[in-house]
Amino acid sequence: MPFDTLVATAIHDAKNSLNLLNAWLDEAERLCPSPPLAQARGTAAQVAAQLTELLVLYRETQGVLRLSIDDQNLPDFIDDLRQEIAPTARYARVGIEWRVAAAEAIGTWAFDGWQVRLVLVDALRNALRHATTHVGFELSAEPSGGLRFTVSDDGPGFPPALLAGGEARPGEEGSGLGLRFARLIAQKHATPDGRHGRLELNNDQGARLTLILP
Amino acid sequence: MDLSEKTALLIDDLPEMRSAVRIQLADAGITKVDTARNVKEALDRMNEKRFDIIVCDYNLGQGADGQQLLELVRRRRLLSRSTVYLMITGETGYEQVATAAEYSPDDYLLKPFTSGVLKARLERILDKKAALAGIHRYMGEPAEFDKALAACEALLAANTRYAMDVLRLKGELLLDARRPGEALAVFEGVLAQRATPWATVGRARALLALGREDEARAVLQASIAAYPNYLAAYDTLAGLLGKSDPVAAQRVVERALQVAPSTHRQRTLGALALGNGDYPCAENAFRRAVEKDRTGFFKSHDDYAGLAKSCAEQGKTAEALLAVKEMSIHFRSSPDLAVRQAALEAQVQMKAGNAGAARAALEKALTLQQGNSLDASTMLEVAQACFAAGEAEQAKTILGQLAEDHHENEAVLNRAQAVFAAAGLKDEGAIFLEATKKRMIQLNNDAVALARAGELDQAIAMLREAADRLTNNAQVSINAALALLMHVQKNGVDGERIRLAHRYIEQARHANPEHAKLPEVMAYYRKLAPPGSPALPAL
Repeated sequence: MPFDTLVATAIHDAKNSLNLLNAWLDEAERLCPSPPLAQARGTAAQVAAQLTELLVLYRETQGVLRLSIDDQNLPDFIDDLRQEIAPTARYARVGIEWRVAAAEAIGTWAFDGWQVRLVLVDALRNALRHATTHVGFELSAEPSGGLRFTVSDDGPGFPPALLAGGEARPGEEGSGLGLRFARLIAQKHATPDGRHGRLELNNDQGARLTLILP
Repeated sequence: MDLSEKTALLIDDLPEMRSAVRIQLADAGITKVDTARNVKEALDRMNEKRFDIIVCDYNLGQGADGQQLLELVRRRRLLSRSTVYLMITGETGYEQVATAAEYSPDDYLLKPFTSGVLKARLERILDKKAALAGIHRYMGEPAEFDKALAACEALLAANTRYAMDVLRLKGELLLDARRPGEALAVFEGVLAQRATPWATVGRARALLALGREDEARAVLQASIAAYPNYLAAYDTLAGLLGKSDPVAAQRVVERALQVAPSTHRQRTLGALALGNGDYPCAENAFRRAVEKDRTGFFKSHDDYAGLAKSCAEQGKTAEALLAVKEMSIHFRSSPDLAVRQAALEAQVQMKAGNAGAARAALEKALTLQQGNSLDASTMLEVAQACFAAGEAEQAKTILGQLAEDHHENEAVLNRAQAVFAAAGLKDEGAIFLEATKKRMIQLNNDAVALARAGELDQAIAMLREAADRLTNNAQVSINAALALLMHVQKNGVDGERIRLAHRYIEQARHANPEHAKLPEVMAYYRKLAPPGSPALPAL
């Protein structure tokens, strides 16, 4: 087995083990709720998500990553997102302000629900970690046709190198895996008339990450 | 939502998983739960009764999976539109299979999940099914297009949250009702608001139905580039190219198979490759179709026939004969199987230059087929064997009978035409088949006209003569039964006519269990047949 295949297989196994661990932590928390258990569960979920992102990036390098774009009911999608971030949000220092009234108005949009959820949960986790008092999540229609998901916080903002489109410096700002994954997923979303998704980062009294889907 | 009255079938090969999910279903309020360990048990349960909810693990062991089961029960119509089919899976990556497949589950859940998540998902699906039930009730067999479309309009006027689902159903209904211009307007209306794969492929199908093939091809190619996982685009494009450029069609199916494995698509690839003379590819495709499933629920005689022929074409006579022999291991003994094997063996032996063995096998096939009502694929095989052995007249007789039996089935007629073409008789075959088709339509029309004119006895006599001769022609059998039942309705119950009507309905069911007019004639029979009459099974 070539080394990169071995690594991919090992990541896959580790991810499945983490999912199992998460199920046990879930059960333990149900029987005996406690902040450390919730933290442990959140950490396990985060590591599992990182491994999943790694696998997706690996698939892309092998030329076998294909998005599964299908209609997503936006109110349901937002409900799932809130449910997924809930264990992390429950014990975070700050709350999330959800501005998602547009979900009902827009109704349905076609995108890869699973991958986009991963991007947004990861962005929300980061925002909760860096925020001082506030995290925001907003869904809106893109004026030129498309969907905008914006995650914002009032923390120190993105490092200048990242805003300029560069990679994260290992060790200083984490691995940069999440952003790399988010950019890939944004760019992979396309329409038959040739429009693509994109990721926008900017600082406006904190970090603002916007995922725009065509 | 109260789920306590819902019945569920839980399918999982692992006992501990069955227990765990059963507890989660109970937590969600669902206690009426049957379980199945594998595909066979699941089919048995679903044949016994109708469930509101089916929860199926993707991995069922034994080489079969929940996706194959889903496709099988949808094809066999064991799954009503109101039943929820929820797939559960431990594999991230299943989402690629779910959206890529012809038959998607209503939803899927990645393990691990909590009972709260399970309940929320089930409620969501049930809510949607309840909202769309007014349309679904008119989408049975036969579909009542006008009523279904009126239900679509009513829901759209009520500003439902499922507007996109309704528009999707409306577009598909219009396509099925052969109103492609209106379907095109629906799909283009959706696409003017947002890009989505189903409307893109719907638009291509409408363009195709309107004869705008070049535009349809361009739309499908753009769809595949943007939505590489949406297999309906590959299938539609392969179908479009199949007539004009079978080599390109083969490439499209190969790409689709890279997206998601499918026995059905391997079979399509094998058939295209065989026709294109790409025998190694055909052999590989048929071998995969055969080996994918050791349970035997999903494979057909055609897979082994294709394997035998692709091997024979490459001079691999022993492997070809082995494939023919192995059919006895994997399929139940039947006249169709015995005839098919003999006809295949004749072709393999002929290819290998063993004229004596080929002749003996062909004679065996012809003897075995006497007095048996055989399916179309078997008849086509015998005709091919006859052509291969130089028995052209015998082949034409068989193909003539086949065309009479299946005059309304374009797929069978196309395959018959392909057999003529392979024997170098393309033009003769086309004229012959068209004349046969016209003759059969005339026979049915004449009989229906007689019945409408009140000449029921004459119509019955005409249709009975045809139905007794053409036992595989579902339409003739159905018309014979209808004429007999009209007589009963007009003149009062008559045990003999009721018995005959039952016999012709059963004959039609055997010939084509999916014939669109079967539900109508069966309902008519049930209405008129007095207690004690022979019963008909549920559809």
